[in-house]
Amino acid sequence: MSIRIDIPPFLRHLTDDATAAKVKGSTVGDCLNDFVQQYPKTERLLFNKNGKLLRYVEVYVNGETTYPEELTKQVKDGDEIAIVYLISGG
Amino acid sequence: MKGITRKFLRINLSNGKIGEEAIPEPVETDFIGGRGFGIHYLYREVAAKTEPLGEQNKLIFAAGPLAGTNAQAVSRWMVCTKSPLTGAFARSVAGADFGAWIKFAGYDFILVEGKAERPVYIHLTRDACQIEPADELWSKDTVVTQEWLSQRHGLNTRVACIGPGGENLVKYAAIVTNRRTASRCGVGAVMGSKNLKAIAINAERNLQLHDPEGFKQLVKQQIQTMTASKGFQHHREMGTTGNPENTSELGIFPSRNFRYGRLDDYEKIVGEEYLKRRVGEFGCYSCAARCGKVHRVTTGPYAGAQSSGPEYESIWAFSGPIENSYLESTIAADQLCDDLGIDTISTGNTIGFAYELYEKGLLTKKDTDGLELKYGNHKAMVELVKKIARREGIGDLLAEGTMRVAARIGKGAEAFAINVKGLELPAYEPRGAKSLGFNYATSNIGGSHGYGYAPQEVFGALFPRKVDRFAEEENADIVVFNQNNGAVGEVGIVCVFARAWFPHLYDKLLIAATGIDKIAERGYLPRVGERIVNLERAFIVREGFGRKQDTLPQRMLSEPLHTRGAPGEGQMMRNLDKFLDRYYEIRGWTPQGIPSPEKLKELGLGYVIKDMAQSQNVRAT
Repeated sequence: MSIRIDIPPFLRHLTDDATAAKVKGSTVGDCLNDFVQQYPKTERLLFNKNGKLLRYVEVYVNGETTYPEELTKQVKDGDEIAIVYLISGG
Repeated sequence: MKGITRKFLRINLSNGKIGEEAIPEPVETDFIGGRGFGIHYLYREVAAKTEPLGEQNKLIFAAGPLAGTNAQAVSRWMVCTKSPLTGAFARSVAGADFGAWIKFAGYDFILVEGKAERPVYIHLTRDACQIEPADELWSKDTVVTQEWLSQRHGLNTRVACIGPGGENLVKYAAIVTNRRTASRCGVGAVMGSKNLKAIAINAERNLQLHDPEGFKQLVKQQIQTMTASKGFQHHREMGTTGNPENTSELGIFPSRNFRYGRLDDYEKIVGEEYLKRRVGEFGCYSCAARCGKVHRVTTGPYAGAQSSGPEYESIWAFSGPIENSYLESTIAADQLCDDLGIDTISTGNTIGFAYELYEKGLLTKKDTDGLELKYGNHKAMVELVKKIARREGIGDLLAEGTMRVAARIGKGAEAFAINVKGLELPAYEPRGAKSLGFNYATSNIGGSHGYGYAPQEVFGALFPRKVDRFAEEENADIVVFNQNNGAVGEVGIVCVFARAWFPHLYDKLLIAATGIDKIAERGYLPRVGERIVNLERAFIVREGFGRKQDTLPQRMLSEPLHTRGAPGEGQMMRNLDKFLDRYYEIRGWTPQGIPSPEKLKELGLGYVIKDMAQSQNVRAT
């Protein structure tokens, strides 16, 4: 099972400038955990201390938001995950 | 058509004439409202070379076609004029209730022209409009002014006013309503130059929509979609105070007058720190987000200061430029700017510039009234805010903005002046967010993030495509898209944050409100946005702007960015010329940045062609 994560600009300095990663899992949470295992430095920019997604991080699967399910959202082979910072800067 | 009132109010302060005028139907369909109406009338009525602070300049206070309805986050309003700071087109957007009240008074916009002999304010109701004396209000701050007008005309009054900054013609003075501001480009100075202290509107809700039932259903859908989005939840909770953390992580939080990409101790100014000092919140008309957060200082030298903010830009303006992480001083400076009516961005940027001039020995204690402008000295920063608004001592010079200060000081000071076309750059470092940087370079109002905000590279937004934030001419299409799309958002004057929470409903709301069915046609709204940007471009070309002025501060073109460990170390804007070539090509403009006759005809702007042919790109700076 292979799912692609598009690595956003704000994480690339922590992924050796990689722009995409292949991950495994049946949920968004599994996939992000796999991603963090590959690139451990990204964890603090994705999750809070309790392991929840940061409030200003939004995850999309195939262009659709996963909110409010987020980490429990089911994914399947071939899906594409995108990570976006929520726009909040005036 | 409804939603659009099809009329505006012209108020001449020189001769006291006041009258309603109709907005012709083709203007409605071509420009829809808001910024579209603003540039359409400004282009026709403000001749080239008009003195921005002279009697001939005009001020347009515009609401959008959705303002005053119960749709969410669409009642913002804007001022359009010729800027005294840049000499270019100016549009400055604000929130609160005033946009709704313009519509309740029965108008799509209010056009003010001429100059009053003495200080006046305009009192507008649905049935009458009076020009009233304002001698008693002159020199009063924006809080006192609004309270005075509310007491005189009742609690149902909404006011847009200037403070001492506008009266003193600070080149970047703001217009304030409630605690929101139309602050960029010096629109408040234009108001001051006309001896116009305020516009006060008393009106009750009274709107007619083209399709009331359809609109009602869309609003229901809008509220459901919006409140279910994570973006809304985040914005509701934090406003824009969470952003310093994001931009610092990216290395694009400009520090020490745009030499570094973040503060060393940026964790002291992040959203969580502001949360600890939060004492309230407020919002705009018909918006559940209530993203305005009120902060109070309880200890230290600024104890008692309370600001209805600061928003992200103001957090930056009074921390980044002078390397200051004492956020109590940021709150105090923000409050002063709102009270005195000056733009936080240009104020903070200009103060950062003064600190660098002091560092380089181009300003000394003799020049600064004894203030020591050493990085981190927040007390001097707060003093400078007061001096600028009142034009006291060194403040009289700094009130002119970085471009004019540099010209007066000479000796190479221009190298440290961080503006585009005279408008001070905001809180995003161009070298680390290059599409935003090139938007600054080509924006028709100067160095504005709001003119063509680039969420793709700052936040990883996926539409219209993903971008590499360090790419240059490869992203020229993105800059064009963002600028046109920004103009589309500002015909309805929807909140830039909120639009992302109901992306498919904005067009539909516009149609239900106005009955302009063409909006449903594929590509119609983008074409309206493109038309607006082109007409704004024509306005500034007529003033002598062109390729030479589509540039960036020398620092961005010649000095590598230092990011203090964040990504982007060593970045510079390397290919400005290549970018401009590509950008002009996509725009359909000449290599000198002038809209071509073919493009103007295509956009229905044929009447502009003659002006472009006559315009010489002769501006000296």
